[in-house]
Amino acid sequence: MLRRRHSFAYNLIIFILAQLVWLAVLLLWIYWYVSNNIIFEQVGEKVAPQIVYDAPSVFPFVGGIVLLTGLSVSLVLIFRHLNIQIKLNALYDNFIANVTHELKSPLSSIQLYLETLNSRDVPEEKKKEFYGLMMRDAERLKNLVNSILEIASMDKKKSYRDFEVYKADETIKKIILESAEQFQLNADSIKFSGDAGCDILLDRSSIKTVFDNLVDNSIKYSINPLKITVRFKRNAKKAEIEFSDNGIGIPNDQIKKIFQKFHRIYDKDIPNVKGTGLGLYVVREIIKNHKGKIAAISEGKGKGSIFKIELPIYVAKDKSTKEKKKDLK
Amino acid sequence: MSSESMIETSILLVEDEENLAHGLEYNLTEEGYKVSLARDGREALKLFDENEFDLIVLDIMLPYFNGFEIAKHIREKHPQMPILMLTARTQVEDRVKGLELGADDYLTKPFHLKELLLRIKGMLKRKSWYQKVVIENPVYKFGNNEINFENLKCTKGKKDFQLTSYEAMIMKYLIENKDKVVTRKELLENVWNMNPDIETRTVDNFIVRLRKHFEDDPSDPKFIVSVRSAGYMFQV
Repeated sequence: MLRRRHSFAYNLIIFILAQLVWLAVLLLWIYWYVSNNIIFEQVGEKVAPQIVYDAPSVFPFVGGIVLLTGLSVSLVLIFRHLNIQIKLNALYDNFIANVTHELKSPLSSIQLYLETLNSRDVPEEKKKEFYGLMMRDAERLKNLVNSILEIASMDKKKSYRDFEVYKADETIKKIILESAEQFQLNADSIKFSGDAGCDILLDRSSIKTVFDNLVDNSIKYSINPLKITVRFKRNAKKAEIEFSDNGIGIPNDQIKKIFQKFHRIYDKDIPNVKGTGLGLYVVREIIKNHKGKIAAISEGKGKGSIFKIELPIYVAKDKSTKEKKKDLK
Repeated sequence: MSSESMIETSILLVEDEENLAHGLEYNLTEEGYKVSLARDGREALKLFDENEFDLIVLDIMLPYFNGFEIAKHIREKHPQMPILMLTARTQVEDRVKGLELGADDYLTKPFHLKELLLRIKGMLKRKSWYQKVVIENPVYKFGNNEINFENLKCTKGKKDFQLTSYEAMIMKYLIENKDKVVTRKELLENVWNMNPDIETRTVDNFIVRLRKHFEDDPSDPKFIVSVRSAGYMFQV
């Protein structure tokens, strides 16, 4: 919302400036016309020496051209920004529709189970099953609300406060296994390899969100039994985590767009239509906040996706660093 | 209805939300319906093409084929199949699109279980009434019009056209009550099963459409006439 208002004010200022420029041009050209043509022709030879002395000045002519150029540049800017605005509005509307859907689905499921329990004689065993399903729906609602709130704090550039030093491989592995458990994914479907053997500075809960979103995407966008492979590597300054799956992959023209806010791929062959278009945007913002980088690689549709994450290696600096080294073992 | 209900009523439930689908399946089965569940558009079309169903409960946002596409496919093959659309989308355009493509009813999420079950019951009741009267008299002629109530195909002079299931039901109801005044309320109760979302103006809109189909001069109707402050009457 804030961004929308900001760009509206921006457009308005450019528009007002363009109008002022236009007005100035008009006045200048009138002045030029009056001084050079009308007076010159009507007064004629009588005051000929003065006219020759006063006009035609080069200043209004050049000034007019400069201002006219300014006017057209401003108009181009207005057009560009308006265009962006319109695109943003369309994305935003789409986002609202998606969020509505995402909120209403678990809500209607919870309502359905509550009404069922209230109006029917449900056997004990079924009751337990229904409670479990309702809890899962409540969890889904909680996650969605959290991710929306996270976006709001990201837009305000609020920084993370809970940075601590962790062992890269162990912690990331643990986080990914936690995500897998949360999505009821069999631990056997995830394989780990390689070794980064270094420390990194992490805000654990937001890195958990990163892998929650990546695991969730892998589940949503795969048709065959899911296989996730996580490889750890390191170079001089960075720890590298390569998260790959055997899902439906990403079309080439979408690779860069998938990290944009609200962006979603609409394709007939995609096995899932759920989502808000926030997941990968949140992922990228969190990685950026860790001074790291993320890139997506896919050989195309049906060939799986790879997310390459680079995080700076943490090297302890004498007394100035207050972070506690934390071994999760 | 009673003879109909002896045979198990079969419902195709198309819903990709795992939890919701499970809850709906449980409730519909408890009500005595035989439920087949499709979790995406492809599965829905496959199940529909391979089996006989009495009613379809259809979500809109689905993988592969959306609910609108599925409704269109169903209508082409089976013009009278009752379709209840179930969706989280509340925009008027979605509603209009759904009803135009032949959904008979529309319920937005979250919904009340009782209301869903009542609507399904109503739709099945209408279907069995319609089938009963159609078996007795599948083709009806009046003026230069001919209506086939089985496949909903009509001819007016040399012009062929297709009725929607609602248009056919209203027409059938009016013809059944030939030369009698039928009130809007009566039509609402019997054709729409008093769906609270349907306003009396909807009845009038349908009448306008039917007049365009069957009257030589829709502004001066000869068959479907208005009876002031009462309703409509079919006469030949």
